[in-house]
Amino acid sequence: MIKILIVDDEKPICDLIDLNLSASGYHCTAVQDGLEAIEMIEKEKYDLILLDIMLPGADGYDIMEYIRPLKIPVIFITAKREVKDRVKGLKLGADDYLIKPFDVVELVARVEAVLRRYHKAQRIITVGDVVVDVEARQVTRAGKPVVLTNKEFGLLVLFITNKNVALFRESLYEKVWEEEYYGDSRTLDLHVQRLRRKLGWEHNLVAVYKVGYRLEVPQ
Amino acid sequence: MKFSLKLLLWSIIVMAISLGFSGFYFVNYVFETSLEREVGQALDENSILRFAFETAALNVPAKYDVLQNGSIEQIALNLESGGQNTGRMLRISDEERNVLYASDGFETDEELLGQTDELTKTYRIIRQNEQYYIQTGSTVKALDRVLYLETLRNVSEVFNERALGFTVYRRVTILMLILGTVIMYLIASLLTKPIRLLTKATKQMAAGDYQYRAQKVSSDELGQLTQDFNQMAEALEENVGKLEDEIQAREDFMGAFAHELKTPLTSIIGYADLLRSRKLDEEKSFLSANYIYTEGKRLEAMSIRLLDIMVARHAAPQFQTVPVENLFLYLQNMFRNNEEMNFTYSYEPYTVLVETDLIITVLINLLDNACKASEPGSNIEVTGRKEEEGYRFMVRDYGVGIAPEEVKKITKAFYMVDKSRSRSRNGAGLGLALCAEILSLHESRLEIDSRPGEGTTMSFLIRDGRREDEHEEISS
Repeated sequence: MIKILIVDDEKPICDLIDLNLSASGYHCTAVQDGLEAIEMIEKEKYDLILLDIMLPGADGYDIMEYIRPLKIPVIFITAKREVKDRVKGLKLGADDYLIKPFDVVELVARVEAVLRRYHKAQRIITVGDVVVDVEARQVTRAGKPVVLTNKEFGLLVLFITNKNVALFRESLYEKVWEEEYYGDSRTLDLHVQRLRRKLGWEHNLVAVYKVGYRLEVPQ
Repeated sequence: MKFSLKLLLWSIIVMAISLGFSGFYFVNYVFETSLEREVGQALDENSILRFAFETAALNVPAKYDVLQNGSIEQIALNLESGGQNTGRMLRISDEERNVLYASDGFETDEELLGQTDELTKTYRIIRQNEQYYIQTGSTVKALDRVLYLETLRNVSEVFNERALGFTVYRRVTILMLILGTVIMYLIASLLTKPIRLLTKATKQMAAGDYQYRAQKVSSDELGQLTQDFNQMAEALEENVGKLEDEIQAREDFMGAFAHELKTPLTSIIGYADLLRSRKLDEEKSFLSANYIYTEGKRLEAMSIRLLDIMVARHAAPQFQTVPVENLFLYLQNMFRNNEEMNFTYSYEPYTVLVETDLIITVLINLLDNACKASEPGSNIEVTGRKEEEGYRFMVRDYGVGIAPEEVKKITKAFYMVDKSRSRSRNGAGLGLALCAEILSLHESRLEIDSRPGEGTTMSFLIRDGRREDEHEEISS
């Protein structure tokens, strides 16, 4: 199981990240103090560290210096929006940046992306008779390859990495199309429709009233 | 063109003209004087010769009534040789201007004779064979003959002296000009040094170095200018510094504000998102909802405090004269229910001119902070004391204390010495910033005396002097 260390001085935010990532199948540990975080990193090997910048004890940049030689991927989580702060973090060797406040979907997606880059993420995800190779971008249903468009594949990855999570139209649209969602587009519904038909998910991919869609998988 | 170069060029031009002119005038003057003297001598010589001739003519044996050409020649020869190597040259002509006798080298034309008559002596300066001569002419009467006597006096020396004078003077002039140029260059650069220094200072300041000052090197008008410039620079630096500080303070505030705002917002948005998208069990649902509630409360507290600060900053305070007893009684009442701490109140009776609600806010904040810093059961002393200048309010605790480097920052908005501790007691880091604002309205400030581990004393002074001013203002 993939182990993630969460370092943030705010307990509520630690818990929030913990709840979300645990639901996606990660094992999370949270600390609220910089020095404590270094101790934890020394004791145990983590696959990913989510790091706040403003911390008591030692700040995020200090901890980053400490982590760098260990080659553990790091995502900064911070309220600092300025480009120079982001650049500083990335220059220090952070793999990504998450700005508070953040969406649940965004958090999971960024964690997935970084883990994938380090080949730590689950490469092949199975849902029923559908097998998805996230890196090779190949999908098979009952052993037979299924041809998906780019957008359909993007949607599929979002659904299978957020099983049993109601995904909102706007976040689906913004993630896959990378455009602002204005609420009047039928494009998303058409793509979901096609995905259902191609994968035989008429009953799994359910519409949630006034929200969006959820991939229901028996746990 | 550079100013020093202009100065140099002009002074060289003036120097060259004046040196040239005065030199020319001087050499020429010497020349004219010498020439005049020579002319005088030449004329004198002519007179002497004439007289000598006439005398000699009288001595000629009176064989004829009329002086014979031969005798004239003889006399002239005698006269010439009588010059004794002075280079005397003479020429004698008869009435028809036929030359009767001429010394060797006397070759000039007869033009001078045309102007000579019995009463007039004439002279002219001629050039002959690279030599200058004064030619004089006069008439000689001897034994019924009217002859013309001409002499030549070599004055090349005078002309040579003039040429030499010019040469020497030219050299002197050139030398003086070179020397003058060097000296003027030094003087010009010395005089324009303040300008160069000022220019440098201006450039430095334009490039953003507001601390740079021009060096004052003279006490003249330029020195005065430098001094004025530096004064201006000082004022500019002060203003720029003030502006920068203000901008820095604003940026710090915005940064802290954004951070403080985003933290509870992240929780609220995150948990709300969690609740609406995942099917959570009851425990997790409650946890999420509770976080949304508490973080919302935190936002509320923060916005109220911010509003207070804004009001304190912009509202016109309504000062009233209040007995300090009222304030202390209010505080006692307020903290009556707090049984964790041991409060002691002691005060000297007095009246102060304050905005009651605001001063109570300050006192409550100070007491709150004292409670936050102390372990349960410790003492907190609230004191009011009459001082020379006014009345001092003091809150003393025996808690954790504040490190010296933290003391300065403590009244900054959102600054918290111990974040987790303060958070857990619902602090937003705005209390002391609010106190500082309110106290500045009362022309006072927060004085902090603290030792880590021993406790903190926070106090402020409400001055007496203020009250009369205020009353005057009100009455007028």
